[in-house]
Amino acid sequence: MSAASETFSSILAQPTPLFPLELGRRNPEIGKLFAASLTSQWNPATIIDWDGLDLQAFTAEQRQALRVRWSRRAWGEYGAISESPALQIRFCHDRLDADTRLYFSIRTQEESRHAEISYRLAEKFGGYIDAPAEEYRGSVSSHGIRRLALDADVPVESTIAALVCSAEQIILENFMHVAKLTTQPDIRRVYQLILRDEARHCAFGWYLMANRLPHLSAAQKERVREAVVTMIEQVELNGYQLAWLAPDNAASRAQIEGDRILWRGGLGASTEELEKPVFIASLRRIRERMDSEWGISLPKFFHPKTGEI
Amino acid sequence: MTHEALQRVPRETRFPLNLAVSSAAIDRLYEESKLDIWAPATEVDWGSGDFSALTKEQFEAARRVWSRRTWLEYTGIAATPALLLRFCLERGREVEAKFYLTVRNTEEAELVDAFHRYSELLGGYLARPENPAWEAVINRRCEADALDPELPLDGYVAAHCAVEDGLELALFRAYLANAREPLARTLLGRAVADKTRHAAFGWNYLESRAGSLSAGARGEVVAALVDWLHKVAFAGYHLPSLATTIDSAAEQGAQQAAAAAGLGAATAPEEEQIFRDYLVTARAHLQALGIALPALSHPRLGAL
Repeated sequence: MSAASETFSSILAQPTPLFPLELGRRNPEIGKLFAASLTSQWNPATIIDWDGLDLQAFTAEQRQALRVRWSRRAWGEYGAISESPALQIRFCHDRLDADTRLYFSIRTQEESRHAEISYRLAEKFGGYIDAPAEEYRGSVSSHGIRRLALDADVPVESTIAALVCSAEQIILENFMHVAKLTTQPDIRRVYQLILRDEARHCAFGWYLMANRLPHLSAAQKERVREAVVTMIEQVELNGYQLAWLAPDNAASRAQIEGDRILWRGGLGASTEELEKPVFIASLRRIRERMDSEWGISLPKFFHPKTGEI
Repeated sequence: MTHEALQRVPRETRFPLNLAVSSAAIDRLYEESKLDIWAPATEVDWGSGDFSALTKEQFEAARRVWSRRTWLEYTGIAATPALLLRFCLERGREVEAKFYLTVRNTEEAELVDAFHRYSELLGGYLARPENPAWEAVINRRCEADALDPELPLDGYVAAHCAVEDGLELALFRAYLANAREPLARTLLGRAVADKTRHAAFGWNYLESRAGSLSAGARGEVVAALVDWLHKVAFAGYHLPSLATTIDSAAEQGAQQAAAAAGLGAATAPEEEQIFRDYLVTARAHLQALGIALPALSHPRLGAL
């Protein structure tokens, strides 16, 4: 493994009793998500007629923009494979209900197919790009979930609130917006399928929180609030999902221009002007929901491109 | 492993992120697994079980056997995500292995759900062993081993994914062969399909790596295998009768009664023969890969 490492109070170094292994203690809403996921499979290898997809229908500029966009999506989806599985280890360590522990297995599998379809699309349109430009790397490299999930001093609820109920909720609503703008049938279909999966992922987070919040102390709820604020300020407002929120540099400008090209062609992207109100509305909905359902009050957020939200 | 090692999580160097497939064999397993997802809750006719001829003793025996099976399967729910993380933390590890592990974990969750439901039908799932001495044997904490930077990944894969999953497959084939009860047959048929892929993954991966392993790395693989055999297999994890420090009479009695009733089990002598035969096959397979497993001796079975 890499020589660089972080030292912290890891759950892996703590005793974790397996027994009694209660599998009957259920969260029925999450159980339904597990069953729905198991019966809603789709396969990136076959969902598109890859050989029949006519590249002549796309300009060179569009193909380049597509390969960049889907490479970027692949990097983002890969994070859910290389980091989020730590949450499942944590669920087992914390002995959360059986449905939560079982559901998260297929959630990770769904993320792998999102990475796979993104990679296949990037390859199809000119070749997957294996790394972002250096100056853009800080915006897309990691959201630190692996460390947070394994850290015994960080309540798992704060990680779920930040990752799922905030970050994933924002991207879900952005995808809904982009899907409506997309006219190319194959790309629209991919968005619809990913959306279906992501809707379950977000629902999981809210169901889990509804189940756990009554057991949290005031101090733990404050940790939840802090984690959400950190995720929004340091990850989302730094351009992890939306390129126009990233620090201005040549790479982010190129990404923004590429997205504009795709938006004009109905090829699965949007523009800053169109995404901005969607993003602001998402943040407001998250704030309202956390306030009304959790009793957690988020601060106002600020970004030069959006002003105060 | 050391306590200090487990307090560290290595930082990932994500880029360049290679997502091109390099092992066609493992990619095929991934594709097959994606097509074989099933929902125990809705796709199994749970009313199709035929328990009319069972005695109270047979019910009791079978629920013990199937509850234990559930506990063993459950250990993968945390161990597989840990292994996936480890693959992602090590630079240059193959993407198809990572993708495959995500679907393997879904299969483990399906089997936990299915085995638990079947145990319930047999009179009620048991949440812990009757003899508490078994708890430490079963709670191996593989997730900690998988993420222990002091344990080489190739050794982990050789022990747990190749040899151990291969043994599980051999045992489950025997359970399926024994199963006359229709629902047990259905579930074990599913389990054998999944476990065939799980074992194939381990052996395929080891084959893909074996040629590039240094003498030192081969030694580490051998050490991991010997460690697993002594601490896990010989401790009675898969075959209770192999335990020498725990009285397994109750487990052996349950196996015998469940097998006699055709509820998908094997007797202790049958399991031990499977174990012996499997070790011969595994040893030859390892030898062909340049990995020499030393002679081993079990306190009761003798030389293996």
